[in-house]
Amino acid sequence: MKPLSIRHLALLHLLLTSLILLAMGLYFWQEIRQTRLRFQSYEDQTARQELAEGVQIVMGRMRAMGDSLAQWDETRQQLSFREYYTLWRDERVHNSGLLATKTAAVALYDESGRILPGSNGPRPMPTSVPGKPPTSLLIRDAGHENLYYYTPVYADSAATLLLGYLGLRLDFRNELEQARAYRYADLDSLRIDLPVGKSLDTGRILAHLRIRAQDNPQLQEFQRLLESSTIRLALALLISTLIAAVLLERMLVRPLRHLSGEIDALREKTHSRIAPQGLEALPLPVQELENVWRSFNDYQSRLAELHLDLQRSSQDFFDQARRDALTGAYNRRAFDEHWREAARDRRLDNVALLLFDCDHFKAINDTYGHNVGDAVIQAIARCLQQALRVDDRLYRIGGDEFATVLIDTDVRHSQTVAERCLEHILSHDFRQNGLSEPVTISIGVAIAQDIPETRERISLSELQKRADLAMYTAKRPGGQKIVFYTPALGNVESLVASRPINAVFRAIQDPDLLEMTYQPVVRLHDLQKEYSEALVRIRFEGQLIQPREIFPIIQDRNLDAEFDLAILRAIHRDMDDGTLAPAQGVSINLSAAGVINARVMDALVALLEAERNRKIVVEITETTLITQMELATVNIRRLRQAGALVALDDFGSGYSSLRYLASMPVDLVKFDISMVRLLESDDARQRHMIEEIAHMVLSAGYELVAEGIETEALLDRVMRLGFSHAQGYYFGRPVEDEAAQA
Amino acid sequence: MAKLLSWSLALLLGLAGLSARAETMELTLPNHGVLQADFRPGTPGKPVVLLVHGFLQTHAYPTLHRLADSLAGEGYTVLAPTLSLGIPRRAQSLACEAIHTHALGDGVAELRAWVAWLKARRFANIVLAGHSMGNLYTLSYMTQRPDAAISRLIGISIVEGSLKIGEAARPALLRRLRAQAAGPDRRLVKEQFSFCKEYRAPAADLLSYAEWGPDRILAAIDQVKVPVSMIMGSQDDRLGKDWLARLKRSHARVRIIEGANHFMDGPHEFDLMDLVLAELKDAGR
Repeated sequence: MKPLSIRHLALLHLLLTSLILLAMGLYFWQEIRQTRLRFQSYEDQTARQELAEGVQIVMGRMRAMGDSLAQWDETRQQLSFREYYTLWRDERVHNSGLLATKTAAVALYDESGRILPGSNGPRPMPTSVPGKPPTSLLIRDAGHENLYYYTPVYADSAATLLLGYLGLRLDFRNELEQARAYRYADLDSLRIDLPVGKSLDTGRILAHLRIRAQDNPQLQEFQRLLESSTIRLALALLISTLIAAVLLERMLVRPLRHLSGEIDALREKTHSRIAPQGLEALPLPVQELENVWRSFNDYQSRLAELHLDLQRSSQDFFDQARRDALTGAYNRRAFDEHWREAARDRRLDNVALLLFDCDHFKAINDTYGHNVGDAVIQAIARCLQQALRVDDRLYRIGGDEFATVLIDTDVRHSQTVAERCLEHILSHDFRQNGLSEPVTISIGVAIAQDIPETRERISLSELQKRADLAMYTAKRPGGQKIVFYTPALGNVESLVASRPINAVFRAIQDPDLLEMTYQPVVRLHDLQKEYSEALVRIRFEGQLIQPREIFPIIQDRNLDAEFDLAILRAIHRDMDDGTLAPAQGVSINLSAAGVINARVMDALVALLEAERNRKIVVEITETTLITQMELATVNIRRLRQAGALVALDDFGSGYSSLRYLASMPVDLVKFDISMVRLLESDDARQRHMIEEIAHMVLSAGYELVAEGIETEALLDRVMRLGFSHAQGYYFGRPVEDEAAQA
Repeated sequence: MAKLLSWSLALLLGLAGLSARAETMELTLPNHGVLQADFRPGTPGKPVVLLVHGFLQTHAYPTLHRLADSLAGEGYTVLAPTLSLGIPRRAQSLACEAIHTHALGDGVAELRAWVAWLKARRFANIVLAGHSMGNLYTLSYMTQRPDAAISRLIGISIVEGSLKIGEAARPALLRRLRAQAAGPDRRLVKEQFSFCKEYRAPAADLLSYAEWGPDRILAAIDQVKVPVSMIMGSQDDRLGKDWLARLKRSHARVRIIEGANHFMDGPHEFDLMDLVLAELKDAGR
């Protein structure tokens, strides 16, 4: 249902009010008429009551007169001596004072009821007595309604000696008028339902009388006053209603329509601020409307503020969606959008893309933990941002990878910016972030201007690939940390999508690509090989991929657990095919991710259970324990329960403190080759420290394994320090076929 | 003997009770007219008083009624008839304006009937007492026919039947009335008579009263053979000029009650009673 407008509602209200007023007026009018009718009915009843009383009085008086006459001596005189009867009837009776009215007529009748002889006189009476007196009748004569009363006349007081009868006639209307004063009854309206010449017993006279009340001028005046008052009241109400309608239109409808218009305008122009108008034009401002206007303005203001806040929030959300929460730099999404905008605006001429990548960030993260890693990333971001121009945007496009785009630049300027960025990183003191060694970054730069053959239009993906290639080049050990792309860097695919990467992925899918070599670990007290450490290589497309190429790829792509599983399958394969002799122990390097990976654990436990007769050493790094200490501890205990010995590998090569050593559930501690070689250092203090560490570990109950034993002198040193095992080229290089060697 | 005394006392007490109780007696005349009288029986041996009321009055007229009561109280038998004046069982005073068809002779006849009624009851000592014009009936009765039963005549405030027309015109009026009454003309005449300003009656009937002027009254008194006593009030304004003086000169014994008017009312009732009793004592001797 379509809602009604305020104007329609006002008109409807006016119409309803008018109808109600009309109905009330009609109601009051009807009530006045009803009241008048009730008064009229009351007056009619009162008039009839007065008439009844009048009739009663007349009848009483008539009987009293008749009885007085009947008992009058002179009446008996006339019935006894009738000589002067007519004189008595026509004069004496009327002068006697016994008749209260002059219109009365009297006649005497003998004992048989016949009228006494004599002319009937001026007031003729019936010639005989009707019925058996005493009787009273109303007879309608010509032009008159007369009451007749006949009563016997006795000679004695005991009423035993009948002399005759007396007849008395009274004019009914005249007697009624004389009987009493009438306030309500209108005797002129008296109508008697009696045919002419017919008689009626006076006992039933009232039933034949019709009368109405006198006109009551006071009542008529009262009714006229009420009617005129009602009309005046109706007019006053009508005028009031019209005035109210005008006021309603001026004070409510119009402002509301204006307000509605303002709201419509506001809806159409969401950002515009509508000034309250029309309210000031009101001759009599309405408080509530002013409040509405004020509230509307406040609401509008708050709405505008809210809109502004929403815009800010939206901008914030927009920015947040495009900002990296950790560093505040733009994120990958913003990078992609800005790239697309730049491509749409064809602003790729003289554009340089700089990619920054933190060197060894994974090692930092694994060694110091994520908190430190995050702090390092934040510091790098701050340094880069400080190094860039104000309008240059810094993007974090990967975990430790940043980028920036320099517009309207050239090689020299790009070089300057890149060097400034590198300097800021190198000059930053990362020790405040808990690091004890410097952090470096590799910077790859690709400039569209520098490619003459593609100057017309270079694709974004191509520019990104070039910057990636330059950055990967810069990350190569021993190279420049800032590398500009040149075609001499080679094919992007050949570098980025390199054979080692493909080999790693393929090897994970097919562990047969893994070629395991086993380096013997010698028990020093008898110099006998006790077991061999399994080392991995990948033979892919006819070439052998070395561990130094393999593990960065695995770490960069978080393939540790999958690669551990592949190695386990390869070792299991070697055990099955006899590459490893049945009694030959083997030491397996397990990545930190593998230690806390359930699949790796299950596979390793299965291997342990299957090879219970074989000594199996599981080598883990201290990073494993640092990352997830509790889960790693549980899993290591599970391995030990399954029969494995656990060795802490590369001890002394990382950043961990000695605190972890005390809580590590390991059986062996393998001194890193860098630690072992310090035993040959000229610095006596370094030698002494290594010796003391070895003593400390040994006194803690661990067996010590020395890596990198290549000379007999070094062997002597470690044997003198109490190392229980040693491995290195002195004892033999790793071999593919352990069984054959054995 | 004692028993006889007891019966005598009881009889006396019973008679005394009867004397105080009035009875209405009716008497039918030969013309079928019915008369009524108030009868108070008294002590045997005492005179019977027959009280005749004044003109147009009844026996209930206050002066006579109280006198009758008093006399009855004294042991006198009292008969107080109401003259019918042509109206059977008349019980009301007849208005002056009524049609008067009665004559003095009619009343005398009724008086005679009542005397006969008394005689029939062995009342032999009857005292006739009249008031005002009622004395005309008693005088007329006593002068028409002597009656041995009537022992005394007492007149109270006796007055003439006077036509109020003036001395000069009265003879002519009387002549005209006499002339009319002499024939069969029964037309009514209307004259100022006695205390009535308009008295309408046939001429003969009117004359029956009007002929009783002072002279005829005095003559009648002198004609009566029994003692006649006249009790008059000194302040009676209905009396004619020199009437008391002329009356005193008559045969009658005139007693004047000083200060009394025509009706002897008020304290003069007792004076009247005393005088009447005195007359009755004389009559009883």
